[in-house]
This record gives sequence, C-alpha cells and structure tokens, in this order.
Amino acid sequence: GAIMADVLSKGRESCYKARDAFYACVEKHADKKPTEIATMGLLFPADCKKSRAQYVSSCRPSWVRHFDRQHCAKKRVQRLLDGDDDGRGPMSLPQPYTFKQ
Amino acid sequence: PAIGGPFKLYDTENNVVTESKLRGNWTLMYFGYTSSPDVGPKEVEKIADVVKLLESKYDIKIKPLFITLDPQRDSPAQLKAYLSEFDPRITGLTGSVDAIRQMAQEYRIFFKKVGEVGQDYIVESSHNMYLLDPCLETVRCFGAEYKASDLAEAITTEIQKASNSAAK
Repeated sequence: GAIMADVLSKGRESCYKARDAFYACVEKHADKKPTEIATMGLLFPADCKKSRAQYVSSCRPSWVRHFDRQHCAKKRVQRLLDGDDDGRGPMSLPQPYTFKQ
Repeated sequence: PAIGGPFKLYDTENNVVTESKLRGNWTLMYFGYTSSPDVGPKEVEKIADVVKLLESKYDIKIKPLFITLDPQRDSPAQLKAYLSEFDPRITGLTGSVDAIRQMAQEYRIFFKKVGEVGQDYIVESSHNMYLLDPCLETVRCFGAEYKASDLAEAITTEIQKASNSAAK
C-alpha cells in the first residue's frame, strides 16, 4: 500500500522545525495579547500567525494537537513553579467583607 | 500471571512470524506505531543504540522487535520504510487488528486511539520495552526513562545471570 512519508525522518524533522519556530515565536511575543486560537486551549498573538500557518502545514493535525496540548501542560507547570507573584494565578481568597454578617 | 503468549503476525517482507521464531535468541520487544509524534522515534532510536552498544561493547547480539499498535495504517511496507531509517536489524511486525489486539493483551500492553479525525489519530500506549530470554520468558520490563546505556547494562546483567545459572 501507500507509504506515509510525512512520519519518516525527513517529514518529522520538517515538522519539528516548524513546530519549534512557532513556539519560539510565542515565547518571544509572550507579552503580547494572544488573539489567535490554536488547539487544545492554546492561544497565540497575531505576530505568530505566519509561523503558525507554516507549522500547521508541516505537521499532521493530530500532531499539532498533541504538541499544543503538551505546550499548554508545560506552561501550566512552569507557572506553578515560577510562583504567582503577578497575581495571574488562581483568584485570591475572599476578603472578610465579602460575606455579609 | 505470565507476560507473553503465542502470536501470528507478518514481518516487513510479508513472511509469517510466530512466537516460535523468537526461540533461541534474546529479544528486545517494543510496541509502537510509525505515526508517533515524539516518543516513538525516540524509543526506536534507543533500541538502535542499545543493539549497537551491546554488539560493540559487550559482544552480545540481541534481536530487536517492533510490533505495531496501529495495524490499520502500519503496513509491512510502512514499517520497513520507518524502521530501516533507524537500524535494518529491527524486525517490524504487523497483522490483523485482532491478531495485534490479542498479542497486546498477552503482553499486557494498553493502547487506545485518541483524537480520531478520519484516518488521523494518535495511539496512546504504555511505552514499555520487554526483554525476552531464549525460552520466550519475559525477564525484564523497561520504561521510557531508561537511557540506552542503562538498558544495555541491564540486558547484559540478565544475560550473564542466565548463563551463570545455566552453567551450574
């Protein structure tokens, strides 16, 4: 039958390259507002639209979802380890005046 | 309960391969699929490294075996193209969905299709490698955390242990 060439070495390498370029872009523009929707809950800034398109065309959709999911999980762990100094973490506990006596 | 059992699959040359073909050699067995995005290629690379390491450093020859958990997409030709890029000595086995499912069950391998969109999906599975002795007994199970050098050392230890007890 037909050979799936996109999962062979050359195909994998070109996917990984495009993938890494996209996530590098996301990291580089981490301060920008993420307005674009990826998959698995991942959002990214408009600055990375081009690298996203290249990534999506270089990798299978199931691979893109897999790596997006992995990226989100990694970022979540990173946020936990870095601490919640900037208050972007969970809601702070309710203040005493929140509850009516 | 023992890990392992009989099987009837096909190699990359479309030859029938049953468990009896493994007798007489130490086998390093891995269940994977060619469409694995990241873990699969790393594990197969590891197998290739282990085989080379065992040969060069310990003068030991083992038979590396790759059984697909994705028989619907992994044809013998696909396995051949994929595995030959790592090491031509890695034997690839595929077969009917039922035959693969039976073998996976015998070897206690969990696997499941995930995120199916038509013919595009990921297969979730335990990335364990089994070491089988020449009598087809599963003597060791290695997780993905083992480095090639650690694997080679562990395999050498098992082989030496077996030849020591045989000599008694």
